[in-house]
Amino acid sequence: MAQYRTQVRIIADVLSTARDQNTEGTGVGVTTLLRKGNMSYTRMTKLLSELVGSGLLLELDGEKISKYMISQKGIEFLTAYYSFEDFAQSFGLRL
Amino acid sequence: MLPQSNMELIQNLLQFIGVFVSFSVAYVAYRGVKQTESSSLLRLATAFVFLGFGFLVEGLVGLGQIFPNEPILTTEVVIGGLLLETTGYFFLAFSHVVDVLLSKRLGAALLVFPVITLTSTQLADVLSILSFYFVLYGVVETVYSYARTRKPDTLLIAMGLSLIGVGTFLQWLSLLYQYVGVLSLLQIILQEMGLVILFTPVLRFAAGGVKVNGPV
Repeated sequence: MAQYRTQVRIIADVLSTARDQNTEGTGVGVTTLLRKGNMSYTRMTKLLSELVGSGLLLELDGEKISKYMISQKGIEFLTAYYSFEDFAQSFGLRL
Repeated sequence: MLPQSNMELIQNLLQFIGVFVSFSVAYVAYRGVKQTESSSLLRLATAFVFLGFGFLVEGLVGLGQIFPNEPILTTEVVIGGLLLETTGYFFLAFSHVVDVLLSKRLGAALLVFPVITLTSTQLADVLSILSFYFVLYGVVETVYSYARTRKPDTLLIAMGLSLIGVGTFLQWLSLLYQYVGVLSLLQIILQEMGLVILFTPVLRFAAGGVKVNGPV
């Protein structure tokens, strides 16, 4: 059965993909984020602009397409997310 | 056997431990709300704020019994404390209900509806038995969550909630049958043991030391 993901969980998934898939340091394309994020293109682009706007992701302007890289604030958010996820799970809840 | 006044003093000290634990859990959950905007943590924080104030009111009422010159002892205040406590347990159960509904898993959610018809008109009795139901539901959902995640902390919290559940049941019995002495002391000891167990995630969180400030 597919598991429901909250908005904060989706954000954490996108940020962790942007962090883990950025092996060459040149950022991650929308296609990779879509594949790992499991959501529609429209929803993903809207979310990406929100994450860039809030400073969690950095947008790198490439020649053809934009690429995304996790920012320091994004890394801090992920650290906090995993700690609070652990805390919530202790009470049997999902973040 | 302890004199009645000493027993009441112990009960009150234990209530204030409950205040400390509840507000500590609420504080960590609130920090989580500020940093992740999670609604689950908001409900958890709300639950423990209500529980904290409930224990605080009950503790202060108890102090009023020890020091009769400071008249904070009224039936309304006692009911108010119980109401706050019950609301806290309600939010704890409600968090699980929302979690269940979001995951479209409806089986255990049925437990939230009482299976015993309440005939008593005494408000304190009703609040105590409602607290018991809410805690019982919390235990069931937490055990279910443990079966899913296999996280030892979750099992520990289920044990803590079970102790609180037995405590609230004894609270109801002591109200119903007027066993004021030993039963009510045992009830508070069990409840406080449960609450101290609930403090474990706070300690683990404090040991982890998250240093992020400001909302997303």
